[in-house]
Amino acid sequence: MTFVRKLAWGLATVTALTLPALAQTTVVAPFGTTTGTYMDYMKTVYDRGTGAELLQVPIATFDKEFELTPMAAESWSQSEDGLTWTFKLREGLVWSDGEPLTAEDYVFALQRAATSGYDFAWYWDFAGGIKGWKEVTEGTADVSTLGLEAVDDLTIEVTTTAPKPYFPSVTSLWYPVPKHKVDELGDDWALNVESIVSSGPFEIESWEKSNNAVVYTKSDTYTGPWQPTIDRLELDPTLAAPEVGLPAFLAGDADYSFLNTGQVPVATQRYPDGIRKNAVFATSYISFDLEAEPFDDVNVRRAFYYAIDREELTSTVLKDIAIPAGSILPPGYPGYNEEVVAQAVFDPERAKQFLADAGYANGEGFPDIEIWIRDEGGYNGAIIPAMAQYLQAEFREILGINMNIRALPGADWMDGLRNKRNNIFISPYEYDYLDPSNFYGIFYNGGRHGYFIPEYDALVAQADSESDWDTRVDLYAQAEQIMIDQGLIVPLVHPITIAVVSDQLGGEGSQPNALGFTPLDRLAHYFFTHMTKQ
Amino acid sequence: MLPYVLRRLLSVAVTFFVVSLIIFLMMHSIPGGPFDANDMPVSAAVREKLMAQLGLDQPLHVQYLRYMWGVLHFDFGVPYQSPGETVIQLLSRAWVPSLVLGGLGVVIGAPLGILLGMAAALNRNTWIDYFASTVSTIGLTIPVFVTSMLLILVFAVWLNWLPASGWPQPERWILPIAAYAAIPMATYARYTRSAMLDTLSRPFVTVLRAKGLSENRIVFQHVLRNSAIPLVTVFLPMFIGTATGSIFVEAMFRVPGLGAYFVSSIEKRDYPLEMALMLMITFMYCIAYLLSDIVYALINPRIRMGGSE
Repeated sequence: MTFVRKLAWGLATVTALTLPALAQTTVVAPFGTTTGTYMDYMKTVYDRGTGAELLQVPIATFDKEFELTPMAAESWSQSEDGLTWTFKLREGLVWSDGEPLTAEDYVFALQRAATSGYDFAWYWDFAGGIKGWKEVTEGTADVSTLGLEAVDDLTIEVTTTAPKPYFPSVTSLWYPVPKHKVDELGDDWALNVESIVSSGPFEIESWEKSNNAVVYTKSDTYTGPWQPTIDRLELDPTLAAPEVGLPAFLAGDADYSFLNTGQVPVATQRYPDGIRKNAVFATSYISFDLEAEPFDDVNVRRAFYYAIDREELTSTVLKDIAIPAGSILPPGYPGYNEEVVAQAVFDPERAKQFLADAGYANGEGFPDIEIWIRDEGGYNGAIIPAMAQYLQAEFREILGINMNIRALPGADWMDGLRNKRNNIFISPYEYDYLDPSNFYGIFYNGGRHGYFIPEYDALVAQADSESDWDTRVDLYAQAEQIMIDQGLIVPLVHPITIAVVSDQLGGEGSQPNALGFTPLDRLAHYFFTHMTKQ
Repeated sequence: MLPYVLRRLLSVAVTFFVVSLIIFLMMHSIPGGPFDANDMPVSAAVREKLMAQLGLDQPLHVQYLRYMWGVLHFDFGVPYQSPGETVIQLLSRAWVPSLVLGGLGVVIGAPLGILLGMAAALNRNTWIDYFASTVSTIGLTIPVFVTSMLLILVFAVWLNWLPASGWPQPERWILPIAAYAAIPMATYARYTRSAMLDTLSRPFVTVLRAKGLSENRIVFQHVLRNSAIPLVTVFLPMFIGTATGSIFVEAMFRVPGLGAYFVSSIEKRDYPLEMALMLMITFMYCIAYLLSDIVYALINPRIRMGGSE
């Protein structure tokens, strides 16, 4: 009897001790890219350690309905003249080592970004318009002249060169840098798990540098909004390729996986309730060298605009992975304008007429061209090569033009675009922050493609600083009309990503938003803090 | 033999330097540099500063000499992709999974292939022979990423016997090792079969049979030994090729190995790592061929090292 009782007690104790361990929820997610240098978003965006942004708390961020939500900030206000923004931080935010998180950490993050070769530095000029940014990055002014000030521990003041009504949404990419750690170790604080400190909802447990996979745990010290509802998070970039991710998902090694076109029917059949679609806020478009033959002729560019059957393209070769694009702005994005979109029709006769007007009736005398595409993975890798072949056939058939396709590694493609080594490109672009100025800024005053169109620039500049939303949207629509009339770009498609999620995964983050889309890790802060696992 | 080895070592050194020069020039002739890949470039002033920090503002010959001087002191620099460690540290970390999986793949695949090849040769034109050639033809012609996919599909997804991918638990090693083993097995089966058939038709085998030696002794002690030269020739290079990691196998099975660095170092213009990887491979192949030559002589004393007659 005693033995049985002892055994029962023993078992009960063991069970009680192991229960918390069993209740630990771990989510394994495909996320990130397989190489990363610093675990510091404000040091490098393109080469960052996986999920570096989840370790820190941004000033504000977006929820799944794309509503801007204050995170580190409690509130913000704009000055009378519209040039100065004041952000009030929450009290009680700390670094994971116990040091207080202050306004100074945010200001320092941008001061360092402006001076030390931050690969995303252009954003703070292009999107942020911070006073003095350009001069400081070009080395002609001192960092102290930047329009940034930590007024006290909880107050940040930002001065912009022109009124930026959308500045708070720009701060969704403004993360703090632990100044106390940089003072001690330099930028190397972000190289080792032992010295990395965090301010956000997660802290780091391990980091496999060979493939940039990380393990995060729920932070013990984070007091801000959006507390994680899971205990551990494994972010594995090697799962990001659907060819690897889906088998791992099927074998129970991953909680969700992205799908390639071939996988969609299989996964839909097996997991009818687990399929999630997301319209990525991104656009693939054709861009030209406006000064080089034959694209220096607006009629040639407009011929291309009308020669593409976007409906056929997205219902055949790009079935399930893209939708037609009639504007640089994707559907659901603020400022999206149906009237602009409606103009992008497939009109072979008009296309032929434009080409004839340019002196190349039926393509006769038109030089052979070569379209340059960027060799990459992800949703672009699934879309662009197939699309390029479709365009090749379409241009041949409708315009009588010979177009070759050349895929180049990222660096070479970018070099070609920037230095105008070719005259026609397929260019993909994904949003950085949620405002039309983001997409129109791509073509503003040189921008990404070296376009200088004075009337376009004037409209965009006016729209950017306009505080009335309806007037702004109207100005952007006028700017886009100039793009259409001058054939500056040919919008092609917007990508759709499809994922399958396990039925064990729950929470608001895994459920579709009002538009029927589930942005998943596109909104990493929201997604990973609003998921549960059974 | 010693003078021969010394002469070969000298030629290894010369090869090494010629290769290093070619790689270095090719590497720098690719347009763009480590700071040009991003959508929006850093400003010219900042770029200049960064290039100077890495010594990339120096003339090419200075950069080359500096690097090679470091190499002589076993210093391969700091990889741009992983600034927290040296190239040597990176290699010794990332090489482990590749060496374990690729190495075991060859070590398991090669003997299996030899057995298969022997079985085929000794049972020529029977079903065993046909089976062996079918297996080796499949092994040689199907690309490794297809083999990997099939292995995952069958053993992880359908049968659910093994995890689909991952590292480091040993049960996760099985499928990638099987994928790696396919090629050495197929190669060895073919080489062994033809070498054995060739040897079996030699007059000395008939003499041995006439002497009344048992068939087992003839096969294992005489025929196999005399057929071993081609097998030795293939082994080390194959081992090096496999044990440095295949980008395909490592990507499919999510192995944090060396394979991907061969590609990423070029894409990211990671000059120190790219040089180190190429020099390492060059060096290993040189040594592998040298060792193979020495082993030839040990197996078959009739092979003389040039110049020692």
